[in-house]
This record gives sequence, structure tokens and C-alpha cells, in this order.
Amino acid sequence: MLKTEELQINIGPQHPSTHGVFRMIVTVDGETITDLKPVFGYLHRNHEQIAEVNTYLQNMPYTDRLDYFNSMANNHAYALAVEKLVGIEVPERAEYLRVLMVELTRILNHAGALGFLINDMGAWQTQLAFGMREREKILDLFESASGARLMCNYFRFGGVARDLPPDFMPRLKDLLIAMPAFVDEMERLLRENEILLQRSENIGILPKEVAISYSVTGPMLRASGVPYDIRKAEPYSIYDRFDFDVPIGAVGDVYDRILVRIEEMRQSKRIIEQIIQQLPDAQGGHINPKARQNVRPPAGDVYARVETPKGELGFYLVSDGSLKPYRYKVRAPSFINLTPLGDMCRGYKVADVVVILGSIDIVMGEVDR
Amino acid sequence: MYDVINHLINTVFGLGWPSWAISLIAYLLVATILFLVAPFQMLFLTYFERRAIAQMQDRIGPNRVGPQGLFQPVADGVKMFTKEDIVPDAADKWVHLIGPCVVVAPTMFMFAVLPWGPGMVPLDMNIGLLFFFAISSVSAVGLMASGWASNNKFALLGAMRAVAQMVSYEIPAVLSLLAIVLVTGSLSIVDLIHQQAGLFISSADVPGIPDLGLGWFVFTPVGFLAFIAFFIAALAEGERTPFDIPEADSEIVAGYMTEYSGMKFGLFYLAQYVLNFLLCAITAIIFFGGWQGPGVGWLYAQAITPTNPDGNGLFNVLAGMLGVFYFLAKTYFFFFVMVWVRGAYARLRIDQLMDFGWKFLIPLTLVNVISAAIWVGLTKWGAAEGLAFVEGWAPLMRWGVAFVITLLLNIAAYIFLARVYSQAQDERARLDNEVLERLTNVA
Amino acid sequence: MDIQRGNIIVMDRRRGKLRAGQGLLQGLKVVWDHWIGSFRKNENFSQIHGTFTIEYPDERMKLPQAYRNMPVLIYDDETGHELCTACYQCARACPPEVIHITQAKDPNTGKMVPASLEFIIEYDACMSCGLCAEACPFDAIKMDHFFELATDDRMGLLQRKADLNRPISYYTTIAPDLWDEVKEGAMKKLQGSIKRRPGVIGIAGHLSDKIAARRRELEAEAAAAPPAPADAAPAAPAGKLSPEEKAAKLAAMRAAKAGGAAPAAEAPAPAPELSPADAKAAKLAAIKAANAAKKAAEASAAEAPAAPVDEKAAKLAAIRAANAAKAAAAEAPAAPVDEKAAKLAAIRAANAAKAAAAEAPAAPVDEKAAKLAAIRAANAAKKKSE
Repeated sequence: MLKTEELQINIGPQHPSTHGVFRMIVTVDGETITDLKPVFGYLHRNHEQIAEVNTYLQNMPYTDRLDYFNSMANNHAYALAVEKLVGIEVPERAEYLRVLMVELTRILNHAGALGFLINDMGAWQTQLAFGMREREKILDLFESASGARLMCNYFRFGGVARDLPPDFMPRLKDLLIAMPAFVDEMERLLRENEILLQRSENIGILPKEVAISYSVTGPMLRASGVPYDIRKAEPYSIYDRFDFDVPIGAVGDVYDRILVRIEEMRQSKRIIEQIIQQLPDAQGGHINPKARQNVRPPAGDVYARVETPKGELGFYLVSDGSLKPYRYKVRAPSFINLTPLGDMCRGYKVADVVVILGSIDIVMGEVDR
Repeated sequence: MYDVINHLINTVFGLGWPSWAISLIAYLLVATILFLVAPFQMLFLTYFERRAIAQMQDRIGPNRVGPQGLFQPVADGVKMFTKEDIVPDAADKWVHLIGPCVVVAPTMFMFAVLPWGPGMVPLDMNIGLLFFFAISSVSAVGLMASGWASNNKFALLGAMRAVAQMVSYEIPAVLSLLAIVLVTGSLSIVDLIHQQAGLFISSADVPGIPDLGLGWFVFTPVGFLAFIAFFIAALAEGERTPFDIPEADSEIVAGYMTEYSGMKFGLFYLAQYVLNFLLCAITAIIFFGGWQGPGVGWLYAQAITPTNPDGNGLFNVLAGMLGVFYFLAKTYFFFFVMVWVRGAYARLRIDQLMDFGWKFLIPLTLVNVISAAIWVGLTKWGAAEGLAFVEGWAPLMRWGVAFVITLLLNIAAYIFLARVYSQAQDERARLDNEVLERLTNVA
Repeated sequence: MDIQRGNIIVMDRRRGKLRAGQGLLQGLKVVWDHWIGSFRKNENFSQIHGTFTIEYPDERMKLPQAYRNMPVLIYDDETGHELCTACYQCARACPPEVIHITQAKDPNTGKMVPASLEFIIEYDACMSCGLCAEACPFDAIKMDHFFELATDDRMGLLQRKADLNRPISYYTTIAPDLWDEVKEGAMKKLQGSIKRRPGVIGIAGHLSDKIAARRRELEAEAAAAPPAPADAAPAAPAGKLSPEEKAAKLAAMRAAKAGGAAPAAEAPAPAPELSPADAKAAKLAAIKAANAAKKAAEASAAEAPAAPVDEKAAKLAAIRAANAAKAAAAEAPAAPVDEKAAKLAAIRAANAAKAAAAEAPAAPVDEKAAKLAAIRAANAAKKKSE
């Protein structure tokens, strides 16, 4: 009986397709993977320790840099956590602005993530260029509202930093004309494409029970067939006022994740349309005028979580009554979603590893903090 | 070319040089022109590709170096020349040096049999097509040598994959051309072009069709299916998306080109683009008539040719210019299609690539060969047993019947084979799951 | 599972059953549409075709007003005064702690002044979060729009106040609406700060002409300030009061209220708190006065101090003379028991000397005449105190 040797290959940390500095030690038997060990920590920036030395407001710009793709969502989770701890109320208009920004973030994350995934499959950046174009539009909107494109630092305790400038709404409405066209075009490009189907169908299957036992959240979980979305399961902010659907997949492979993300973009657009309708009637200003930004929360702890585009982002804050947090822990979705990578890749070919990794949609800033 | 030089030297200047000298001068001149033309084509192609793919992605390509960025390839060339040439210590130096040369040299040879216009072919071989494909296979040897000489097991793996890809896609390429050769009965490229005169129906099949230079083979079902199969095989031969595994940067290795830098890498790059140009050219020639087009035949009929020595030299020039224009237009159109495909599609995995070649394209081309046989039988032959009834029909009628039969056969074959192939792929995916379970149970 | 206000959609994996290349052709069509559309520019957000590139640096995008990249300090164009009062709020708010402020002090009295002496921001570590601009109560630090900061000189990114100062006119060109919202409050607070800044402290350092003009203003004020009467509460002079003058004025007012009579020799009034620097100066003045009195008592007129040519020396001379006169005249009951009253007395004497000098026919411009004036002042004071 012929016996083949097992080979250990190292993919990364410098690699064009690993979404950051990320290393995988892959054991292959011929072309088939028998084991995969992820190694990360190359981007560890000591975020949680720095947070213990900063005051609560000073931590807000640092949360931007956790998942640097979706800075508004990180800000949201942190603001929610501190507001829960201190007991600050947020006026209605501020809530609408917050949800608007987060849903725009969701669209831009999925546009970029799908673009990167298709790029990893070899389509030479076409879908990526289209996705980046839509991202650019949304980033321009963020720039006019918050002052920066990526590191927005927009949320404050009790609301948002600044109200919308006058040129925001017309451009947003224009964008909502382009958005269905973009998503439909992406679907036409991707859905029936035989080559894409060959690369993504039945690749990287994550069964339902395995996903739940690994604590996977976000589009990955929903693609595996579990209809769990924090915005519906435990509505925070004003999500209970909007109509939107939750897409789930049937099999849990890479193709399902692509389809789920495309559909989530459509649902985000639906939410934004409802926001535009309801925003003029919202009460209050863009921030609670009685909220102190230099908060001194009472001693205690809190865990607050939001549904970011990558999954469930949670902040666990422990306060000892002083101006700085005593313990600050981030439950990063990319980190948890990365743990079943070995299981998902076993049995597939080497060329599938990059595709499966791209479908998890990780960002190393979150994984390593 | 010999005639022109002969005319020039012996008649105009009155020098009585012997014919071997004239030949030598003629061939040297032709070779020089070709060696200048090939790299310029490649330079322009790189620029064209970058601009075209950028515009497909809603952005502007290189537009800084020179007017509209036309000197960008010059800048690229300078970069390639001036980069440091790194040779790994344990590599086999001579083979490392010769490998890229062996990959590039055949592509230059292939220019020798390509007709650019009526009467403008460097070397009119009667086995031109065979020569073309035989020479292109020599590059595979250079590929393997390059991978081996790098002393890098991943480069070797990449080289083996690339060679497997090239070799296995030569088969559907040649088989689809075989169908055309069956139909025309000749391996000479010049003949093939001459047979594509006519108007949607080749005048070789149905005499009496007005010659508008549009009797291309692609307008027949046999030719159309052969064209599709050949173009896909050409994509794979030239290592273009969706078959560009060796270039992929999302694979673990950079393929056989890993350990090459500087001008040696430049030679690989050159070889790839020149080969792609040649494949587009041969597609244009065999399926789309090459230099055939409205007006060329008429112009050439009044020019100086071996059959018409009293013609007017001016018509040579005009026919030549028009012919070259049609030829280049078609070639660049096909290159644009190659770039278009690159912009639109993802990449196939190596095993999917091999499956596609062996399990879909080859059966398809074999069916096409059968269709070609039927076509030939119905349109050209007839004196055989049982086919004598065909002799009595009008040529157009024979052509029509052949057209319908081969069309139905080809469409049925395509759909059937596509279904079989996709089912096989689905089962394959499920097979992976079984492997998965087996391995995870073991582990 | 049931959810509110929505459905659970199971994604449809494939529409067509036959895979014979139709999807591929659709993909080709999408890319073709983009290629055709790329020959014009993408104009607004509602389009998805068209070239999206802005060819930097030939074309630039217009930055929104709220854009923030690196903070700068602003100063008022008219007066040249910086709005920053060195209140330290921005340095407290800064997350990476890149702001380093030194507050300015009055060189005379050593008291802190609402202006900054040095203001350093490390641009290489600043993360442009904008928390400093949000925290500033005086709208003095604002976020700039300039982003082309790339350099190979790392230490050049350490920006000092001179590098950070920008006029308000610059800020209104980049963020007019944001400035309009805060303009009034900022200018009011600026006026308050200007009042409390002595000399030329607080004027942006590079505005040398404004500094010179301010200095000339202050000199003119000092020269033209009406001398205060020897008794009674001195009228507030138009213009700025130095802290010592303020203290003197307050003491005088309190003394007047307490019903004090002669200014020089009454019981020490509860004078306002003087800072230690002022107390020292007062003590010094008292000691000097005593010495001068000793000298004047022994010496003749020839020993009068050399004629000063500027006002300060003249004042000092007058003070000495007055003190000498006081000491000479005083087996007075109360040598000033605390330094404040001594200072007060000194000031009063100086004013008296000034008044005496003003009564003199001409300002003494040479040594002798100055001496003479000093002697006359001493005599006058002596006479008054007798």
C-alpha cells in the first residue's frame, strides 16, 4: 500500500490573502488538508490594557481601531455599554442617527468583504473595485458627518458627537438609488456564475450544531441555518421599530455566506429607508444635554452587545467607581468566528483555505486587539 | 518578400546578385522585422490590458507616463532590466539561465508562419498549422526546467502544475483544429485563409458565392463549436483567467516564477503576452478569416501575384494595408475578450481545471470531429456507398442539410456534456465531504 | 422561531437547473456595461457606472467642513491675541497625551496669566480624534484640514505654538459654519482673557508689528495715566492695572472706608492678599525706603540719586525720597507693621512725588534738575507730614 507523507506548509503571516497578518500552519496530504492550526497575535496592540489607563471618553477613539472596517459599530457597542453602566438616556433623534450610521456600516462592510472574497477566488478585483466604489460613497457621507472616513469617533455617551450636515440627506437619498442597482448587479455577476459555484458550493461547510457549539455569530451563523440576529433576539437601541428580514442559509457553505451577505445588504437598505422616513419626526437633539462625557460610573459591571456586520461584538466593563475602567474586555466576533477554521477546512484542498478564510470575513484588528 | 527584394536589387538597381544572397537578405530582413514586431506587440498588449481592465473596474489605468500613459510599458521594461538578478545559491545556474529562454524562443518561432496580409507570410509552409502547435509545446519543457532549476519544492510543484495545465489543454486545442483541418483538407495556414472567402458561406463549399471575404468558418456549426472549444483552450494555454493558477497570488506559491527576478522574469512575462497574442492571432486566422474581409480579395486580385504578374504594385500595398488592418483588428478584439474574461471571472482550482479540460472539453471536441466528418461527407464527398444520392443535390442544398444536421448534433452534445459535467462536479463536492468525515473520524 | 416585524428568509441557492454557461454570459454582460460606461465620469452618488477616479493631485475633492486632521490653535486677526488660555482641558482630554502646555506668567508679579507660554503637540502621535477641539471651552484649538504632512524629518512633526498658530480668517475659510456656531461666545471670552493679560503676553509671537503697536499703547497709557490723589481712594485709571496697583487700590478703598485719615501713617488696614511675590517686593521696597531715608537724612542734596531718564527710575527715586521724608518726619507712631501698608505708603508717596513733579514748571531732563525735583518732593512730603 502506498503511503504518502504529510507536509506542513505555512501560509502567512505575510500573504496577500490572509486579511491582515495571520498565519496558518496547514498539514497537507497531497493536495488535501488534514489539519489546520491558526496562529495569530501579530497585530496585538494591547488595546484592553490601554483602555484601563484611559478615561471612558478617551477610550472612544480606541474602539474605532478594533474592527477598523466598521468603526461606527464598535463605537456603538462601547457607548451602549457605558450608558448602561451609568444610566444615561439617549434622545430619539440620536438613536435614529446611530442606527443610520450602523446600517450604512453594514452595507459597506458586506460590499468590501464580498469584494475581498471574490478577489481571493481570483477575479482580479473587479467585484472589489465595485464594492470599494460603494464604500467610497458611504465613507464620504461619514466624513461629512463625523469628520473622518474610517476612524469616525462619532458616538458619545448619550448620543452622537455632531448632528448631520445639510448635504448629508440629499447624498444619502442618491446613494439609495444606487444601492439596489449595485446589489442586483453583484447578484447577477455572482449568483449563477458557474466558476464561482464551483469554487464555493459545498466548500467549507459548517453544520448548525457545530456552529452553535463554537459560539459563532453573525452572517456565518445565519448561513449555517440558525436564525439568530441580536437585533431581533434582544433588540437594543430602536431596532424594534423597523421592519426587516433575517436571511439564513440552508447548507452552511461559502456560497450560502455570500448569499446571506448580499441579502443583508438589501435588508440594511430597507432599514435606512425607514429611518429616512421617520427621522424628521424624531424628538430630541443629537445628544443628551445632561450627559457628562467625563463619566464616573458607579462600581459595578455591565455586558453590552451589538450585531456588527461581522457578528456579535460585546463589551464587558467593570467599574470601580473611578474615572477609568477597572477591567475592559472585548468579545470580538472575528476572534470567535475564527476558531472553527480548522474544522471547516479539513478534507478540502489547499486552494480552498483562502476562500474559506475569506468567507469568515475577519479583520485582524479585532482578532488580536 | 523574396520577390520584392529581387525586384528592388536586380531590376531597379541593376546589381546582379545571386539568388542565395537575395534570399539571405530577404529572410534577414523578415526576421528583423518580426523580432521588432513581437516585443512591440507585447508592450502594447500590456498597456492595453491594464487600461481595459481598469476601465472595466470603473477606474483609470496608467495614464501618467507619456500621453495617455503610452510609455508605461517602456517604464515597465526599464524596471525589469534594472532589477537585481537573484539566483538562489543551490540552484542550477545554467538551467536557471536557459529556462526562460527556452520558454520565450518558441513563441518567436511561431511568428514565422503567420500571414499578416495577402501574400505577406514570412514562410509559407504547407504544414504551417502543425508547425505552429508543435513549436508551442516546446515551451512546456522550458517551464519544467525553470521550476526544477529553482531548487525550491514549491516552485517545482507550481511548475508541474503549469506543465500539466499546458499539456492537457493542448489536446482540445488541437482536436478542435482537427475538425477544421478535416473540413478544409489542408494544414497550410495560407490555404485556410483563402478558403474563407465568400459571404457567410465559404466559397470553397458552395462555388458562386460573391467574395466579400466573409465566408468565415465561425459561421458554420462545426466552426462555431470548434471556436468556443479552441478559445477556452487558448485561455488555458496562455495561462489566463480563469486558468491562471501559476500567476495567482492567493495560492501558496507563485508557481514556477518564484525564484526569478529582473530580466529573467521579464522574459517569462514577455513569453506569456506574446503567446497570448499569437493564440488570439491564430483564432482570428482560423475561425474569423485572418486578413479576409470586405475588399481585400478584390484589391488583391489586381495586385502583382504569382498568378498575375502584370498587376499594379499599388494594389499590393493597398491590399496589404487593408489586410493587416483586418487581421490586427480581429486579433485585438480577441485579446479584448481575453481581458474581458479576466475581469469577469474567478479562478478555477487546479483539480477543477484539469477536470474541465479532460472531462468536458475533450469529449466536446471529439463530438465536433464527428460533426466535421458528417459535414465533409455531405458537402464535399459523395461517391461513397450510400451517399451517392447526395450528389444530385444542389450545392446550396447540400450545404443547408449539412448545416442543420451538424447544428443539432453540436447543440445536443454541448447540453448533454454540460449536464454530465455539472453532475460530476456535484458528486465530487460530496465526495469531499465523505473524505472529510473519514479524515475527521480518523483524527 | 418567530421574530417580530420581519420574516426569516431561507436563501435560494440556485434558480436555474441547467448549468451550461448562462451565468458566465451574464457576468460578461455586467462587466461590459461597466466598460462602456467608463468613458464618462461618475457624477453623483446615484450612479454605479462611470469612472470613479479623482486624479489626485491634479484634481482634489472638496473636504467637508467637519473634516478633522491635526489640531491647530487660532488667534484673532484684529488684536493678534491667541484664544488659548492654557486651561489644560485639551491636554486632559487627549487620549494619546500628545499635548504639552506651559502657562504664561506675568514677568513682573510672577502670577499666572490666561495665555500659554509654550504649546506643543506631537503631530506624529496625534490620532486626530478631535476630542481636544470638543473639550476646549474657549474654542481656541480647532481641527485643521491639512493632511499632506508626509515628511522624512520625524522631529519636525513636533509642532510648537509658532507652528500651530492660525488666524481666525483661515479657520473661517475651511469651516465657516462651525465657526459661526461658536463665534460669539468665543469672542466674548477672548475679550475677557485680553483684559487679564499684561503687556504683550498672549499676542501671537510672529505678529511683531502688533506686538510693537501694543507696547507703544502700553507706554502711552502709562505716561498719560492721571496720577492718583495722595489720599482718598484713587480713581481707577483708564487702561490696565497691574496686580500691585490693584492691590493698592483695594487697600486704599478699604482704608478709606475704615475712616483712615492720613494715608501714610495709619494703622495697617486689612489689605487684600498679596501674592508672595508682591509681598517680597513690598518688603524690598520698605527696606530700600529705610536705607534711602538713612542716606537722605545724612546726605545733602548732592546725594540725590542720579537722574533717571525713564519713568520707572523716576518713580523709584521719588519713592525713596518720599520714604526718606516719611522716616525723617516720623517718630510717627506707626512704622508700617506689615509690608502691605508700607507698599501702600510707598505708592502714595510716589504719587505725591509725581504730583509734585507735575506741578513743577518743566519736566526735568537733566541730572541736576531731576535732583532738584527730588529734593523739592522730599521737602514737600516732609512738610505735608508735619
